[in-house]
Amino acid sequence: MGSVLALAGAGRQNWPFSSDTPHPQWDTPLPHWDTPPRWERRDGRLPNPGSFHALHHSCKDVFPQQIEGVKMIVNKTLSSFFKASHTFHLSAVSPSQYRFHVEHRQSDSHGKDTDSPVLIGEMDSSGSLNAHSLLHLSERIRAKAVFQTQQAQFMTWQFETEYRGNDFTAAVTMANPDVLRESVILVAHFLQSVCSGLVLGGELVYHRGRHEEGGILTLAGQYSGPNWVATLNAGKGGAHASYYHRANKQIQVGVEFEASTRTQETTASFGYQMELPEANMVFRGMVNSRCIIGGVLEKSLSPLPATLLMGAFVNHRGDKLQVGLGINVG
Amino acid sequence: MAGIEELSPAAGPVETRPPEGEIDEDEDEELDETILERLWGLTEMFPDTLRSAAEVTASGSVTVAKKLYSFSRAALWVGTTSFMILVLPVVFETERLQLEQQQLQQQRQILLGPNAGMSGGMPGLMPPAPVKM
Repeated sequence: MGSVLALAGAGRQNWPFSSDTPHPQWDTPLPHWDTPPRWERRDGRLPNPGSFHALHHSCKDVFPQQIEGVKMIVNKTLSSFFKASHTFHLSAVSPSQYRFHVEHRQSDSHGKDTDSPVLIGEMDSSGSLNAHSLLHLSERIRAKAVFQTQQAQFMTWQFETEYRGNDFTAAVTMANPDVLRESVILVAHFLQSVCSGLVLGGELVYHRGRHEEGGILTLAGQYSGPNWVATLNAGKGGAHASYYHRANKQIQVGVEFEASTRTQETTASFGYQMELPEANMVFRGMVNSRCIIGGVLEKSLSPLPATLLMGAFVNHRGDKLQVGLGINVG
Repeated sequence: MAGIEELSPAAGPVETRPPEGEIDEDEDEELDETILERLWGLTEMFPDTLRSAAEVTASGSVTVAKKLYSFSRAALWVGTTSFMILVLPVVFETERLQLEQQQLQQQRQILLGPNAGMSGGMPGLMPPAPVKM
């Protein structure tokens, strides 16, 4: 919304590493059925609220990812630090591509605060590069650098520093600093755990170009219950509200409402996720106020280390269909 | 020329003109108006407001019926395809799981006897009586 990734035109769909959430070690885990909820973890002291980008993730994870065409992902674990994956994507609406993704990340983590940096790189068959590097400068300070190119041209170069206190998180991001064109985008995030279950915070985006300058302030709040999470972002750029509810071990439900003043559009979505571990299957479904419905079925072919994904998205208003088929091996 | 005028039926005295009941003129009158037009003419006896109200009601109900039909077509299509995409895969999978479990149960029954139907069922045999020395 007001974040840099939104400004750069990327949302969750354009996230370079489509299938998994990028930094599972850094973002606190979702309220789970078995583990105690995160706001009660520290015996009376308020826990760290996590990063600003992760505020809506518990709701967004319930929604199905739009898949299109045929996609095959082969994951190989070379050692406890190295993982490589090859992605072949044949698509009807965009040119087909092969992607190579490599990760240097300590997988058998002794704790969240590991010393080794996390380096993630992804290269396209057309030459586009995506690189993330995450460094722990100290126990509480983390630094991140992101580079994205489109073939030979740099689209995004972004540097972020985050400080995690006992019950607050502060982060400063500088995106696309360009000395020659005198343009920069600065984003500051702050989140504070106010009481058990309540997190308040804000985001300030300041962008400056040669001829223009502007700032957008967005306030954020998140309230969590034993098995639900409600989040609200409101500011001049629009509002984004989401509600996540875990009905039982198998069913999770999410409702999302987005309004943007830039595009003058509001969207309401309802999504659900159903897990049947006995049948080795996860199904995610979604209904939209733009008359878009979609469902994605993930079935793990149990003796083989492979997962089959089948999904369909239908736009009833425009009578359009997107069907996708995917196989994840390894 | 005057002879032709004399010969036409309208020119002569009234007695030579065909009477009102003659079939020719009546046929001409009947051919000019169909039966529907005659029935429509009957409605002219109602007052104007009633006629206009009836006309509006009739055309309105035709429009509503058309809209209802097209709406129900669209709703049925949207409902069926949405059900197919959102609900049907889960139903298939749960049914398959149930059938598999039933099959396993049946197999276990056949293999181990009728008492071992459920998983974790009783061993089936009564414990041996205590031996008294």
